[in-house]
Amino acid sequence: MEYLITLAVLIALNVILAASYNLVIGYGGLSTVAHPIFFAIGAYTTGLLSIHVPELPALANVVLGMAAAVVASVLLAGSSLRVSGDYLLIASLGFQLGLLQLIRNLEFTGGPGGLSAIPGTIVGPMRGPLFLLICGGAALACVLIIRAIVKGPYGRAIGAMRDEELAFTALGRNAMSMKIVIFAIGCGMAGGAGGLYAYYFQYISPDQFEVLASAAVLTMVVLGGMGTPFGPVVGAALLLAIPQAITFLHLPQNIMAPMQGIIFTLLVLVFLFLRPAGILGGKGHPR
Amino acid sequence: MTEILRVEGLQKRFGGIVVSDNVHLSIASGEILGLIGPNGAGKTSLFNLISGVLRPDAGSIFLRGQKIDGAPLYKRARMGIARTWQNMLLFRSMSVLDNLMVGPREYVGESIVRLAFGRAGVRATEAAMQERAMGILARMGLEQTAGSLVVDLPYGQQKLIGLARTLMNDGDLLLLDEPMAGVEGAAYETMQRVVRQESEAGRAVCVVEHNVSFIRDLCSRAVFMAQGKILQDGTVEELISSSVLTELYFGV
Ligand SMILES: Nc1ncnc2c1ncn2[C@@H]1O[C@H](COP(=O)(O)OP(=O)(O)O)[C@@H](O)[C@H]1O
Ligand SMILES: [Mg+2]
Repeated sequence: MEYLITLAVLIALNVILAASYNLVIGYGGLSTVAHPIFFAIGAYTTGLLSIHVPELPALANVVLGMAAAVVASVLLAGSSLRVSGDYLLIASLGFQLGLLQLIRNLEFTGGPGGLSAIPGTIVGPMRGPLFLLICGGAALACVLIIRAIVKGPYGRAIGAMRDEELAFTALGRNAMSMKIVIFAIGCGMAGGAGGLYAYYFQYISPDQFEVLASAAVLTMVVLGGMGTPFGPVVGAALLLAIPQAITFLHLPQNIMAPMQGIIFTLLVLVFLFLRPAGILGGKGHPR
Repeated sequence: MTEILRVEGLQKRFGGIVVSDNVHLSIASGEILGLIGPNGAGKTSLFNLISGVLRPDAGSIFLRGQKIDGAPLYKRARMGIARTWQNMLLFRSMSVLDNLMVGPREYVGESIVRLAFGRAGVRATEAAMQERAMGILARMGLEQTAGSLVVDLPYGQQKLIGLARTLMNDGDLLLLDEPMAGVEGAAYETMQRVVRQESEAGRAVCVVEHNVSFIRDLCSRAVFMAQGKILQDGTVEELISSSVLTELYFGV
């Protein structure tokens, strides 16, 4: 039971991560790989605050974690988008690797060993179910907020910006500020998910925010359907549930270990060729 | 007649190519100015400089007497510079109506804060904008295409949608880049009628066009441009009979 709740919490947090990444790359058309680093910024901010400033309520810590991610994302997008859209891709990667290196080398972040002894906040037998409720609720809220953003007048503007940015700007639309806002919302949500993660697992390590994590979120978004409101939900659930389901088969370890990698690679290849728009993306190529 | 646009000593070069060489220009309210010249003359570049896509190396641009050199592209559109594109640049994944809806100078959908906290106002503005968009489409006889994807329309109608989207900006200056290229039949008539109506409503219009009869029908004045220079500025009749133009343009 405990184990299933942990899996469900993890799925909920990854739904937030994938849905917000989808907002940034699928809808906003912004190229970035650094999404997990904003999750890390939220997780470390919340974790450190909860350790060093115990009088702050947990909710405030998570909100401050989001705020830290928002500030970092605005600085990153604001400075690099001015150069060019492609530059954001390079800058985001540099930012991710640089910040991870910094976290590894600083004393107060716990260094390469990670940050441990984060207070559990909620105690007792209901801890798991309560966390699941909070994380599930947050995931639902994020997905609905994103859906509201990409529908209606704002969504129309995003679509036009993705189609023809020059014509869009020449109609009087401030594409630059819209991109920064979209990036900040997406990264803020990732930061919030990081804060919840820190509280639930009470431990974070720099290793989990490496480029491999970027690839995992990207896979979730692509599998589910980039630029669809519920695609990332399906993608995140599948990508986390499949490996767990395989462990239930009780296969010997020497078969199990390569199995997951093979299945992921197969999934990505199958989707690339048969359903490039993802599970919920309909047939054909993504826009 | 009020002067809407004035361009003074505009200079722009790309490496060795001078696309704007000491260009002076003035367009008044209600006037349709023809801008003609061979391919590569710098006509589109001039539009890019005026609308703010490009920054000039030297020179100044004035809108209603106000210097706008520092204003970025999107702000110039809000100040009332509306333009079309030689290759249309329509929003291809969107419906005709949605293409138009993004066009007004003030767009409610741009601010998330406004959308979140001013829902009633947003709904009212959207309804008003939709009415305006349908009005423009109706003027072109295209109201039944409102729900279609722009890419599903014939070329001539796409060109009209490009103009319709630009007309959502109700500013004083209208820059049209080869509106007639590839357009014939009913769409041609419509384009001509709508452009004339816009100028009669008081807009200053500048149109780049190779179709000489279109220029002759619509424009009282025209300038001839080659290699970034304005070589002639006068009535259309003067220009057409000019030896400079026939030599450079028609290669005779
Ligand atoms: N962004 C640019 N960079 C480099 N060269 C350009 C650019 N834009 C236009 N040019 C060049 O400037 C010249 C004028 O182009 P343009 O203004 O499009 O001419 P026209 O519209 O009169 O046909 C052409 O030789 C073109 O190749
Ligand atoms: Mg041109």
